[in-house]
Amino acid sequence: MTPVPQQPGDPVLSVYGVSKSFGAHQVLDDIDLNVHRGETVCLLGPSGSGKSTLLRCINWLDPPDVGTILLAGQQVGLRPGGNLRMSDRELAKIRTRIGMVFQHFALWPHLTVLENVMAGPRYVQRRPPSEAREEAIVLLRKVGLAEKADVYPARLSGGQKQRVGIARALAMRPSLLLFDEPTSALDPELVGEVLDVMRGLVAEGMTMLVVTHEMAFAREAADRIVFMDHGRIVETNDPEQFFSAPATERVRQFLARYSSENFGKVRRQSAK
Amino acid sequence: MISLLWGASTTVLLSLAAILLGIPLGLGLAVARWTKLPVLRQIVIVIVSLFRATPAVTTMLLFFFVLPTIGIPVNAVAAALLTLTINTAAFNSEIWRAALEEFPREQMEAAKSIGMRASQRFYRIVLPQIFRASLPALVNEMTLLVKASPAIAVVGVVDITRAAARIGAETYEPLPPFLIAFVFYGAFVFVFVKLHRTIEGRRRLQEAGL
Amino acid sequence: MSRDIAIVWQHRDVLLDGFMRTVLLTTITTIAAILMGAILATLMQLRFRLLFSIIQIFVDTMRCIPFLLFAYLLYYGLPAFGIRMSSWSTGLLALIVYSSAYVTEILRGAWAALPRASIEAGEAFGFSRFNLFRHIILAPLMFATAPLIGNQIIQIVKDSAFLMVITVPELTYAATYVQSTYFTPFAAFIAALVLYWCLTMLVEAVVAFIDRRAVIRR
Repeated sequence: MTPVPQQPGDPVLSVYGVSKSFGAHQVLDDIDLNVHRGETVCLLGPSGSGKSTLLRCINWLDPPDVGTILLAGQQVGLRPGGNLRMSDRELAKIRTRIGMVFQHFALWPHLTVLENVMAGPRYVQRRPPSEAREEAIVLLRKVGLAEKADVYPARLSGGQKQRVGIARALAMRPSLLLFDEPTSALDPELVGEVLDVMRGLVAEGMTMLVVTHEMAFAREAADRIVFMDHGRIVETNDPEQFFSAPATERVRQFLARYSSENFGKVRRQSAK
Repeated sequence: MISLLWGASTTVLLSLAAILLGIPLGLGLAVARWTKLPVLRQIVIVIVSLFRATPAVTTMLLFFFVLPTIGIPVNAVAAALLTLTINTAAFNSEIWRAALEEFPREQMEAAKSIGMRASQRFYRIVLPQIFRASLPALVNEMTLLVKASPAIAVVGVVDITRAAARIGAETYEPLPPFLIAFVFYGAFVFVFVKLHRTIEGRRRLQEAGL
Repeated sequence: MSRDIAIVWQHRDVLLDGFMRTVLLTTITTIAAILMGAILATLMQLRFRLLFSIIQIFVDTMRCIPFLLFAYLLYYGLPAFGIRMSSWSTGLLALIVYSSAYVTEILRGAWAALPRASIEAGEAFGFSRFNLFRHIILAPLMFATAPLIGNQIIQIVKDSAFLMVITVPELTYAATYVQSTYFTPFAAFIAALVLYWCLTMLVEAVVAFIDRRAVIRR
């Protein structure tokens, strides 16, 4: 599979003309999106706007109906040239370069924390066990959970589980990290520890695409905000502009409603 | 007395063989049904429904008498083993199927997103968990198999029930041999119950983080 | 094979007779076992220690041993005590006693699993024991146990086939007779299998119907 040769400055992720419907309901409508190396892009929007669906199209968990998805020039999901779908093997191969963090953590309960993080490197990338183990411990230390290495996920809090989920995604050394509402399922007190880890990744220059409702986080950590509604991208802007002087009325409505509902929450987060 | 021992060992050997063959066969049937290939699915659905609905005695006679007529020579033991295996596999497939259907999608998606291939996803993520989830029901089915095993007598394989009946009929003292058979089955079933409890206990300790 | 089928069709009355006997055995056993099971389960609720233990031992024993062994026990054992019954009666008795134990266990388990809250509410409102049973316990109990009782009925159908060993003329016995007399193993046993299958599907359909009514009530 020969990928398109990369020019410097080419995006890590390119999405062209992606549309998807579930039955009669159109969830994504002609989406174009680029994410460049080191960028953190936050996808915002009301529930049902298609944000999560777009994320899941990128690594073909739910394939788009039409459109192209390129990861560093290599097409995801379809064989180069034609419209033939990739085999499970080919799809698996390209997925190793995209990491995903799930809303409900999706840890494997029959494996310990360490085994969860090691599973990808050991069984997919076939790295030697000692190497995989060492790197897993380093990653667990990075997310602050090294002492929980031999614990089973059932014994962890939500915030701890999600941090393990992040470590597990990082263990594959992906070019791109996808976050699907990583803190939406957490109790409010646990949200901060996960956002802290994510901020660390942003600072390190990780390429990230984050679907979230955490406005304060988006405001301070994102390089770019992409706002979606009813399956379309309505506005793309830098965070300061987006939050203080949005270009579209729709965004203004959204921010007005959101900040009145969550005023206290936003204040608390930005005070950290 | 010796015939009772002979019968007991026949019961144990055939039951264990059918159990060991029937569990993976049941899994295979459940997976075949899950794959959504229409023809295969339908065949599996019919087979499972048929063998869950019919008595072991009848299917045993069917296999014993019919298979030779279509060119497959079977002796009594083969027919007995075949019947018991298919019978338990049909029940097992429903057990496995329930666990497969309940399997959390998100864990599958996490495995996909890491780049695991289908075979890896199945062996490393799905199978360990559905096995654990299915174990109680599978062990229950094992005891049901043991209780269906006397059916083998109708094709002439002497198990402990048949042996006890023979002794009882010959000596006009049915109670002693039957009592021994009672105790044997009680012990055999008890082994499975204990097995299940031990497995459950060990798993629970493991999950508590010890 | 078509010769087989023709012969079996010609003698279908033998098979149908066997089938009707199987249905008869199943029906009588089901009714009797449910009654017995209900009585025993209720007696267990009274919590008289000795009675409870006796019933528990009975249930555990029946659940440990194969049906055929129990049938043999009655078949050879009863005459030793001077009780002479036909093989039909012996078989029927064995089925009833054996299945009663299973029904008792089903009812006991379902009773214990009833939500405590609704029972306590009934007690708090002053329902007497009998009223409590009639209005608060009975209906949920029946709906909860319907699928399990349905499974048990199917098990009764299958256990009835064991009775051919003690010469009770039910369906499998009839199929064996046809096979050994006219040498048509394929058609005879396939016909028997199909008849068992139909009977089972009928029971499952009835259970599904009851289950649907149960869902509506929930």
